Amino acid sequence: MTAVTDLLSPGGALVAESKSASRLFWERFREDKAALFAAGTIGLLVLIAIGGGPLAAWITGHPNDEAYQAIMENQFGLPKGPNAQFWFGADGEGRDLFVRTMYGARTSLLVGVVASGIAVLIGLVIGMIAGYFRGAVDTLLSRVGDVMLAMPQLLISIGIVAACSSNKNGCVAGLIQPGIPLVIMVIVIFSWPYIARLVRSFTLSLREKDFVEASRSLGASNTRIIFREILPNLIGPIIVYTTLLIPQSILFEAALSYLGLGVPPDTASWGGLLNDAQRFYDTAWWLMLFPGLFLVITTLAFNLLGDGLRDALDVRADR
Amino acid sequence: MSRPVRRVAAVLLSAGVAAAVLVASGSAARSSSAQIKAGGTLNVGWESSFGFTDNLDPTGEYLGDAFGILDNLLVRTLVGYNHTAGAAGNQLVPDIATALPKPTNGGKTYTFHIKPGIKFSPPVNRAVTSHDFVTAMERLANPKDGGQYAFYYKVIKGWDAYAAGKAKSISGISTPNDSTIVFNLTQPTGDFLYRMSMPATGPQPAEVTKCFEGQPGKYAQDLISTAGYMIEGIDKVDISSCSAIKPADGYDGQTHLFLVRNPNYDPKTDGTRKNYVDQVRFTVDASDVDIYNKIEAGQLDLATSSIPPSVLQKYATTPSLKRYFHQNSGDRTWYLTMNITQPPFDDIHVRKAMNWIIDKAALRQTWGGPTVGQIANHIVPDTLFNFKLQSYKPYKTPGDHGDLAKAKAAMKGSKYDTKGDGTCSAPQCKNVLMISDTRGVDPGMVATIQQDAKKIGITFKVRQINGAYPTIQTVAKNIPFAERPGWGKDYADPVTFFEPLFDGRTIIPTGNTNYSLVGITQSQCRQLHVTGDCSPYNPKTGLGVPSVNSMLDKCEPLVNTEANDARTVCYENLDKYLMTNVVPWVPWMWSYVTRITSSNVTHYQFDQFSTTPAYSMISVKS
Repeated sequence: MTAVTDLLSPGGALVAESKSASRLFWERFREDKAALFAAGTIGLLVLIAIGGGPLAAWITGHPNDEAYQAIMENQFGLPKGPNAQFWFGADGEGRDLFVRTMYGARTSLLVGVVASGIAVLIGLVIGMIAGYFRGAVDTLLSRVGDVMLAMPQLLISIGIVAACSSNKNGCVAGLIQPGIPLVIMVIVIFSWPYIARLVRSFTLSLREKDFVEASRSLGASNTRIIFREILPNLIGPIIVYTTLLIPQSILFEAALSYLGLGVPPDTASWGGLLNDAQRFYDTAWWLMLFPGLFLVITTLAFNLLGDGLRDALDVRADR
Repeated sequence: MSRPVRRVAAVLLSAGVAAAVLVASGSAARSSSAQIKAGGTLNVGWESSFGFTDNLDPTGEYLGDAFGILDNLLVRTLVGYNHTAGAAGNQLVPDIATALPKPTNGGKTYTFHIKPGIKFSPPVNRAVTSHDFVTAMERLANPKDGGQYAFYYKVIKGWDAYAAGKAKSISGISTPNDSTIVFNLTQPTGDFLYRMSMPATGPQPAEVTKCFEGQPGKYAQDLISTAGYMIEGIDKVDISSCSAIKPADGYDGQTHLFLVRNPNYDPKTDGTRKNYVDQVRFTVDASDVDIYNKIEAGQLDLATSSIPPSVLQKYATTPSLKRYFHQNSGDRTWYLTMNITQPPFDDIHVRKAMNWIIDKAALRQTWGGPTVGQIANHIVPDTLFNFKLQSYKPYKTPGDHGDLAKAKAAMKGSKYDTKGDGTCSAPQCKNVLMISDTRGVDPGMVATIQQDAKKIGITFKVRQINGAYPTIQTVAKNIPFAERPGWGKDYADPVTFFEPLFDGRTIIPTGNTNYSLVGITQSQCRQLHVTGDCSPYNPKTGLGVPSVNSMLDKCEPLVNTEANDARTVCYENLDKYLMTNVVPWVPWMWSYVTRITSSNVTHYQFDQFSTTPAYSMISVKS
């Protein structure tokens, strides 16, 4: 699809210039400074997630799981604050908080991106099927989604995580192991209905469009119509909502880790670091500040990026 | 009133109190008699979960902190204690019995007479008789009713036959009349009176307990009291039939336990409990930080909780707060338990290496450092051996920080040291399951243990469970390693460590306390679904299951006399044997019991028997 921009010809008459959708998108996106900055920030966070932890450990000389109680805790076990060797201070177990925070980026982003990706995939398929076929299929799938949305997510998540964690083999015949895989599964369970509902409403609208009708009249199968006609038109909204879902997933993981039910205690995660911080909130301000700051920046960046993408992809926007 | 003003007011109010500030040496009580008044509500916070081993059912409940509740507030026994600190608190006194009986028949018969005026709380509302003790003992003997320390009473004639379902009653218990009960033993047992002070032996009404047969823990929510308090709402429970019985409102098993005065309790029959307050309210709080904020605000009066290091530092070092800081000898060992049937801990070389490598000082640091306890060097706290094993430190390392060289030396010879370099390099050494709890101290402990074990090649897969004891106590779960356990004496005799913790014959499917499975036989392993190596111990290879049953049998009948401490010496030797030839644990701390009270508490007292606050002896502002 292209858009038309009015230009003046050398003679002064108006001439229409076509632009591709991708070029239009990029021009709009570039104008949104906040979204650009957010994209840059996310890029930096991805780099931190990939190699920030090991790099931090190498620079400081403090491995992720090494505790330094003798030098970074007082006689009562209280951690000490930032200094020249421990830039963010020590966590509650005497480990280098800077290194743990960098490793925490890996956990948080991994959970956020993977969980969101899987949830979007499931929601996309179910939403398209429900919206395209309508009738009994739509009713059944929509009611399943409604039930999931009505459930008390945190309480049930706590139950699932607790049940799977009490067995060394995990649950679902060992398919789901406690730790990151379990947290991802829990987030997916409660996230896909949201996406499915959105996709369903888009699909209901798209299936009535002329190009779909034309495709149907030419004898295209339902599968072809869904994947060749409807799906391409969902990509834009899906990308937007995925970027908005990622920070929610990151916060959900942080909430579970804060409750001691997320990733194992030895695995660094921002939520786990905040959980650790609550025992020392009145004596160790750094424990909350640094992981909290990273969490806020990450969440804000994804939200700004999602807003920017939505504005840039909105063909009805008057620019 | 703002918090600082309230604190100043509390200090001024307490100015006239002649309080001795004692740390670590123990204090029996802290108040002046002028401060002690009846009335008010004692509010107690409880961290994370009650963690009861049997839901507070006296028949099966074995958590030390639960003993403090049962013994002080709900369950009277034939003999008991004065609910005070120190040696005086470990001395037996009559409770329901008229006197401490002297054994007859060569030490094999004990006859108790019951005081008049002892009644069950509502809704039972009748006098306690000798038959009610029989009910309690039969529940304890019945394997289906969840008794976790029934092994103490095997010395009663006919106990095993009844437990096996081969007899309709326990032949060694007779009730000549309603106020007399006689116990006939198979052999002289010097500590039998101590065994009769345990909460499971307290009288129970058969008309209620019969409804819970075969349902361990269920009776707790309808527990019929004989002491100064009862569960709130128990008086409204309909006991006309089993189907009519519903749990009392005051205890839900998870979040709260509310106790009110028992109207049928006659204080004239009880010389050991003062029962100052009108109500005692226990509430579970997920956060130890929140608990101590509430204590400082006066919303809670004390707590069963780990103490955040910042709080510990504040109360231990601020002169104006020291009066609220109470420490007593805990008679308790905290330890890391290794299942000797599960790899890699089925090899004694690995278990010894763990003893050498663990940084005990760091573990203690997570709890608050030297203020909270002493480093443990063997099984039983030195206090129970009168400090005669004080110099016995078989795995002592510099600063108690662990010793890698010695750990590697210990590991050599292990079948898991496949590289011959003193590290556990076989696949069985990786991702070993460790069960951890969710208390405030657990993440720090896990981090320390993982860091230390990694040095000798062992890595752990950690599972955090809220209230981990039931999981650890289920034998069929085959848990290789747990950092949660602690063990306090049942009464002031070393047998209360060795019997429940290391006698292979006491191993039960659930509620088991011999976590290491010392002395388990191959037959037991098959019955209990133990998956690991249960073959008898081979001293040449260091593999297999060692047993100390014969050593236990040798020590049990011994009695200390003025001439010699034969019993104590026997158990000292057993402690040494366990630490060098069995090595089931890494003992790491003998903790003090530290409690912080609010300014509402006008009299605090410690109960040395249960090593908990003496709830029946604490007063508050009313």
